[in-house]
Amino acid sequence: MSFAERMLKIDRRIIFLVIGFCTLLPLLYPVGLPIKISPEVRGVYDYIESLPEGSVFLLSLDFDPASKPELHPQAISLLRHAFRKNLRVIAMTLWVSGTGMADQVVTQVAREMGKESGKDYVFLGWSPGGTAVIINMGQDLYGAFPADYNGKPTKGLPVLQGIASLRDVSYAVSLGAGNPGVEAWYVFGKDKYKFELAGGCTGVMAPGLYPLLRSGQINGLIGGLRGAAEYETLIGQKGKAIAGMDAQSATHLAIIVLVIICNLFYFSLRKQATQQGHSGA
Amino acid sequence: MALETIIGAWVATGLTFFIFSFLYKDNPLFKLAENLYVGVSVGYTIVKTYDTVIVQLIWKPIVENGEWALLIPVAIGTLMLTRYVPKAAWLSRYAFAFIVGVGSGLAIPRTISSFILKQIEDTIRPLMMLVPGEGITFTWSLLNPASSLNTIIILIGVSSVLFYFFFSVEHTGPGKVVARTGILFLMIAFGAAFGYTVMARMSLLIGRLTDLIEFTDPSYGWPSLWLLGLTILTLVVMSRRSSSKQPKEE
Repeated sequence: MSFAERMLKIDRRIIFLVIGFCTLLPLLYPVGLPIKISPEVRGVYDYIESLPEGSVFLLSLDFDPASKPELHPQAISLLRHAFRKNLRVIAMTLWVSGTGMADQVVTQVAREMGKESGKDYVFLGWSPGGTAVIINMGQDLYGAFPADYNGKPTKGLPVLQGIASLRDVSYAVSLGAGNPGVEAWYVFGKDKYKFELAGGCTGVMAPGLYPLLRSGQINGLIGGLRGAAEYETLIGQKGKAIAGMDAQSATHLAIIVLVIICNLFYFSLRKQATQQGHSGA
Repeated sequence: MALETIIGAWVATGLTFFIFSFLYKDNPLFKLAENLYVGVSVGYTIVKTYDTVIVQLIWKPIVENGEWALLIPVAIGTLMLTRYVPKAAWLSRYAFAFIVGVGSGLAIPRTISSFILKQIEDTIRPLMMLVPGEGITFTWSLLNPASSLNTIIILIGVSSVLFYFFFSVEHTGPGKVVARTGILFLMIAFGAAFGYTVMARMSLLIGRLTDLIEFTDPSYGWPSLWLLGLTILTLVVMSRRSSSKQPKEE
């Protein structure tokens, strides 16, 4: 068996180990590679920056713990930015399995920024119906969520003063890991009730959402951990996303090198087989 | 540090190592973590749904606020359960008819508007722009999604991919060139999607490793180190036991 053949039949657990080390080492010894801001992430940041104090910012955390590494840093950055701008924050989720985690992240960032529940922000929790909840909110916010996550009646909450439906929302961002998520918020929300919308999503979903960005159906897109790192850079608060970027780059480099090596071995084997065929003939 | 935080760290660390142990080979530790994940997810969903739907949205408004109109959706929903009674199963069709009717009515026009009409509108853009004072202009920037050059690339891409999926004409001669161009565009799209998928999966690994590094802290009691050792030891013992059993079977 030639060297190329042996390498192509290498135990895949060795590759797992290589990838593992390429991820672990930069996390232990960060280099601090520069992070370039993409226009789609800047679009979200700029729009929030342009909102006047007291504007209504709706954040829908449409994900569960399985997508936490990518979307949790995005949620933290967006909430920090919105609270810093003194926006009125309405947080909610369309995913029942993400309710507890969404409550935890909203409460944690609000406490860190000195914000009060009911006055500066409200976490509405989850309501059944998926996309129907968006339509319901577009007709009557209080009908969709009669009480917030802590059981307080939503009618009369100072943070919701002057808000009757989605039409009164200045800006909405859906952090989606699937359906219902960003697309549902566009189809049943923005397209019907005419508020500005942006999306945050897992890396897997990002290519599918770029057509919405190009056509102006959403005005910004935060894609995966990379997008979260860009947003952390924009607000000037380093978090878990920036910390993970070195590891991400190192792993990508390792994968590219492995793909190139694998192709080299493959073509060398093919050439060898062709030569043997010629000599045999 | 609170006791529940420390317990949480130990549980999270242990389950992470148990799941990662699958990379070595399938084993009972992985199966334990996998089944726990499914069980906890389903249990959590059932409890949250019961509390939100039954208690908060049905029971309390009816009993405390006298919102008797809520009994209508409750009755429609209850019809679904007649599926379990063969003689009354036909009643569930009313509930399904209601759901399918409302769902389709809401979804079809909105989906056509958002994903077909809006996307067609964005695809059919003028190839050149008429700027007042400057006349007809052509923008070459590849980085600007709305540039004239990108509009031409999109036009070629959409046309060639659509032609590739047009099977009524044999792909020979000039048609072969167009179909091949379509394949090229598809390959680029698949490559971009796969690249993003790799990035996403690596992000999940980074997320778990970040937590494992955090849990090497003495304030948690070094769960990462202890449980890594324990997982490796268990795998070694299991491997030895299975290898010692094999010759006996032979």
